[in-house]
Amino acid sequence: MALIEIKNLTYTYPGASKPSINDVSLKVEKGEFVLITGPSGCGKTTLCRCFNGLVPHFYQGELKGEISVAGLDTLKHHTYEMAKHVGLVFQNPENQLFALSIEKDVAFGLENNGVDRVEMRRRVDEVLQQTGIYDIRERSPHEISGGQQQRVAIAAVLAMEPEIIVLDEPTSFLDPLSAQKIFEVIFKLNREQGITVILVEHRLDLTAKYTNHLIVMDEGKIRFEGDPRQILSNEETRLIGVGIPKATLLYQMLKKEGLNLNNATPLSSEELADQLLEALKVE
Amino acid sequence: MSVFDGLKFRKVYSPIHNLDPRMKFAYVIAIFVVAIIFYQVIPLLVLFFMQIPFVLLARVQRQWLRSLRGAAFLAAFIFIINVVTTYFTSGYTFTAINIENSTAMTLRFIVLVESFSVFFLTTSPDHLGLALEESRVPYEFAFAFTTAVRFVPVLAEEAQTIMDAQKARGLELEKGGLLKRIRNYIPILIPLIVSAIRRSLELAEAMESRAWGAAKKRTNLYSLKLHKGDFALLAITIGILALAVYAHFNVAVPTVSSLLGF
Ligand SMILES: Nc1ncnc2c1ncn2[C@@H]1O[C@H](COP(=O)(O)OP(=O)(O)OP(=O)(O)O)[C@@H](O)[C@H]1O
Ligand SMILES: [Mg+2]
Repeated sequence: MALIEIKNLTYTYPGASKPSINDVSLKVEKGEFVLITGPSGCGKTTLCRCFNGLVPHFYQGELKGEISVAGLDTLKHHTYEMAKHVGLVFQNPENQLFALSIEKDVAFGLENNGVDRVEMRRRVDEVLQQTGIYDIRERSPHEISGGQQQRVAIAAVLAMEPEIIVLDEPTSFLDPLSAQKIFEVIFKLNREQGITVILVEHRLDLTAKYTNHLIVMDEGKIRFEGDPRQILSNEETRLIGVGIPKATLLYQMLKKEGLNLNNATPLSSEELADQLLEALKVE
Repeated sequence: MSVFDGLKFRKVYSPIHNLDPRMKFAYVIAIFVVAIIFYQVIPLLVLFFMQIPFVLLARVQRQWLRSLRGAAFLAAFIFIINVVTTYFTSGYTFTAINIENSTAMTLRFIVLVESFSVFFLTTSPDHLGLALEESRVPYEFAFAFTTAVRFVPVLAEEAQTIMDAQKARGLELEKGGLLKRIRNYIPILIPLIVSAIRRSLELAEAMESRAWGAAKKRTNLYSLKLHKGDFALLAITIGILALAVYAHFNVAVPTVSSLLGF
C-alpha cells in the first residue's frame, strides 16, 4: 500500500454550492517529492487539509470517497493523531507561530504529545540545527524575518518526526532569495532523511527541478499528473494558467527556431545552460 | 515607534529577571501588606527606598522612572483630596500632622505602584505564563495569555497600517466633535476586527495541526526551578514581614513632625 492513497475523493465545504475537491484519486509513495500546482482557487489548499484530517474534522462539510495517509483513515483519526505522521506548513508564517520564543514554538507539538523534557530538548535542538535557526532560538517570532519564521514553522512540524511534510505555498510571503533557501531546506530533508514531501507552489522556476511527480490541478480536479518535463512542455498546461518555468519556454522557442538541442525538456536555467553549451560545442 | 516599545518585553538578563516569578510575586504581596499595615511616613519611606536596589540590580531604572511619572498625576490627586478632607474634618485648619498623614497616604500609593512595576518590568511574559501553568491554572488560560502577548505587537502594527491606508484614502481622524471623532475610528476598527478573526481561524488550524489536545497530560519545555537567589528573596520577604509585624505591635513609630519639634 502506498503511503498516501486517495480514491474518488469529493469534498464540499459547509454551505458551498459546488465541491472544492471533485473526484480526486492519488497515490504517493514513501520518499517521493510531489509538487502540486494550479491556478488560484483550484483546491490545492483544500487538498492539503485533507492529508491531516483538518478536512473534515475541523472544517466539517461533506466528504465522499476514501483517503488513507500513513496507513490511517483520516475520517476515523483526529487531526492531533495525524499530526505525528503528517506535518502541515501553512502559507502565512506569522499566523502559525504562537509562543514567545522560537524554541518554545518548536516544542509546542511535543509538549502537546506529552513527550518528556529530556527527549524534547534533544529533538528541539536537532531540528533547530537542521533548519539553520539554532542561533536565534531565544528570540521572539516578532523579531525575525518572514523566511526565518517559515523555517521555524518547518522545524516545528519536523520536531514531531512525521513521515510526510505538506507545505502549502510556504514561500508566497517571501522574497525569491529566502524562498530559494526554504526550498533547499525542504529538498535536503527529502533527500537525506527520506521524508516524503508534498509541496504546493506557483514558483515552478525554482521548484520543478526537484520533482519527478508533478500534479496540475484545475477546478477541484487533477488535470495532469506525472513527469514534469512532459507536462510542462504541453501547451494545455500553459492554458490552464500554470506558470511554466522560463527555461522551459525559452527551450521551446529555441527548438522552434531550429536550434539543435537534445530532447530532454529543461526545468531550470542551469539545465538549459548545459544543453546550450553542449549544442554550441557540437557546432 | 514609541507605542510599540511600551508593549514589547525586552529580554534582559539580570539577577532579578532570573528570579522565580512566584517568589517575586510573594515579595510584592508582602510589600503590599506592609504598606497597608503602616500609615506613618517613616516606614513607608523605608519601603519606598527598599525597592531601589532591586531596580538598580535589574537595570530597569529608566522604565521604572517612567512608570512612576505615569503615577504622579494620581499621586498628586490623592494628596490633594487627603489634605482637603482633613482640612474640613479637623476644624478648618492646616496642621503639620495632617499634611504628614496625607503624605503617608500618597507614599503608600506610590509604594504599591512601584513594587508592581518592578514585578512586571522584570518578569518575562513567558515566565509568567509558565508560573501560571505550574500553579495549576488550566493550560488554556496560560496559553491564551502568552498568545495574547505574542500578538499585541502584530496587531498594533496592523492597526497602524490600516490607519495609514485609510488616511491615504482621505479619512480624517482628528476632525469634528468628540462623538464624530469616535465615529472616525469605525473604518479602522472594522478591518482590524475582520483580520483578527481570520487570523484566529488560521491560528486554530495551525494549533490543530500541531497536535493540540493530543495528550491528557501536557509537558513543558521549560520548568521553574528554585535557585539560591529565590531562597534569598524568600528569606528577605519573610524577614520584612516578621519585622513589620513586630514593629507594628511593639514600636511606637515617631512622626516626622514630632522629630522636627512641631
Ligand atoms: N473555508 C472555506 N469555506 C468555504 N469555501 C472555501 C473555504 N476555503 C476555500 N474554499 C473554496 O474552495 C475552493 C478551493 O479553494 P482553495 O483555497 O483550496 O484553493 P487554492 O488552490 O489553495 O487557491 P490559492 O492558490 O488561491 O491558495 C475555492 O472556490 C474557495 O472559494
Ligand atoms: Mg491555497
